[in-house]
Amino acid sequence: MGVKHPMLAMPSLEDDGRRELLILDTGPIRELVLHQAVFRLGFDRLRSELRWLTNKAAYTRCGRFIAAFKRKTTSASVAAELNHWIRTTEQHGQEKLWNRVYEEFRQMAMDEEVVKLLEMDLHLVARFGPIDTSLLGLAVRHQQEYPTLLTSDRALHGEFQKAGLHVSLLHKISS
Amino acid sequence: MAVNATVPPIHSKRVEAWVYSVLNPIIEGVRRELLLLGRGDLTWRAYSHRCEYIRPIQQYLDESQLPNLEDFLCDPLNPQFKAEFKRHDLALNEVEGKAERFFTGLMNSELFRKEVGDFFREYAEKSSASAGRGIADMTNEELAKYVVEYLINNTGDLPPHYLTHDFWKEYRPRFPHLAEEFDPYKERQSFQDLQFAVVDLRRTSESLSNRLEEHRRDLCARFDIPAAPWANGRKAPDAGNAFS
Repeated sequence: MGVKHPMLAMPSLEDDGRRELLILDTGPIRELVLHQAVFRLGFDRLRSELRWLTNKAAYTRCGRFIAAFKRKTTSASVAAELNHWIRTTEQHGQEKLWNRVYEEFRQMAMDEEVVKLLEMDLHLVARFGPIDTSLLGLAVRHQQEYPTLLTSDRALHGEFQKAGLHVSLLHKISS
Repeated sequence: MAVNATVPPIHSKRVEAWVYSVLNPIIEGVRRELLLLGRGDLTWRAYSHRCEYIRPIQQYLDESQLPNLEDFLCDPLNPQFKAEFKRHDLALNEVEGKAERFFTGLMNSELFRKEVGDFFREYAEKSSASAGRGIADMTNEELAKYVVEYLINNTGDLPPHYLTHDFWKEYRPRFPHLAEEFDPYKERQSFQDLQFAVVDLRRTSESLSNRLEEHRRDLCARFDIPAAPWANGRKAPDAGNAFS
């Protein structure tokens, strides 16, 4: 299914409390990885990278929110964005950061899906970029599962809201 | 082995390279080992069969700095470190070997597999309302691997979003944790062997950490160099990597 404007593709959903599918954006995954690296594994120098999950209480609240969903997924574009983050954050310890990413994906049984560029609306890609558009694409693809997006990106949050899609901001659910 | 008998001059770039690219990352790595070992967390993983964040000394260094390590090890100013690094790596190898033996032993124990299966069924029946959150899709063997990994790493609470969080929270007390409790599975000896190996690694790492810190202090004082890169009163851009 091609990704057209979500306002047209999706019915407007009220928050009916369903917790079927969670779509994770890059920001929350990065924060989960960093929190464990800093607080459990002692990589103190990464502490300054943490923005939202800066203490155990915030991490636990975020974890509980994620755990409430039966399935978790993300797009392959997010994995590519994680790669960009790791390469700019770490010049030499990239394998260890990837190790943490793998651990998170494995432990929460994260699915990963491809949304092909040619399946995405060119205007949406031009406006939001391929990563955000791929997340919109996943929401459309899984509309029967009442998907919710978890993001730390206010602009994307706004777009999902405008489109009538379920979306939660990381700092809201963790505070 | 070639030995450089020339004593480097004060402010020596060579000595700086030893401190910044060899001693500093190793000290940081070994300190982290001690933090983890202090909690009994070996960071051993069933998928890789190794301790993910406790590594052989050389792996704490960036590959591009290995020539500095070689230079450091062959200079008479840094005696005994070659042997001490080897001792550390052997102790780690021993831990990984014992962990592997314990893991294989438990995974091959019919009694252990049966218990995991029973607990799993019991848990799945009780939590049928939340079925579909992932753990229900696991096989007995997959869950058993996680359980042994958690036993090896002395894992306490898991993050809430991990699939095994609820299961481990409820059933952790029902799994053995003391050496004698592994008797029924015939793994008391392998568990004890692992514990001894961990104690030995911890002792080795403590001793190495002290020696490295002392040696860094000595080199810095003797050659009048800061312990970390410092340019014009500001932290140098290559002062280190968080994951070194």
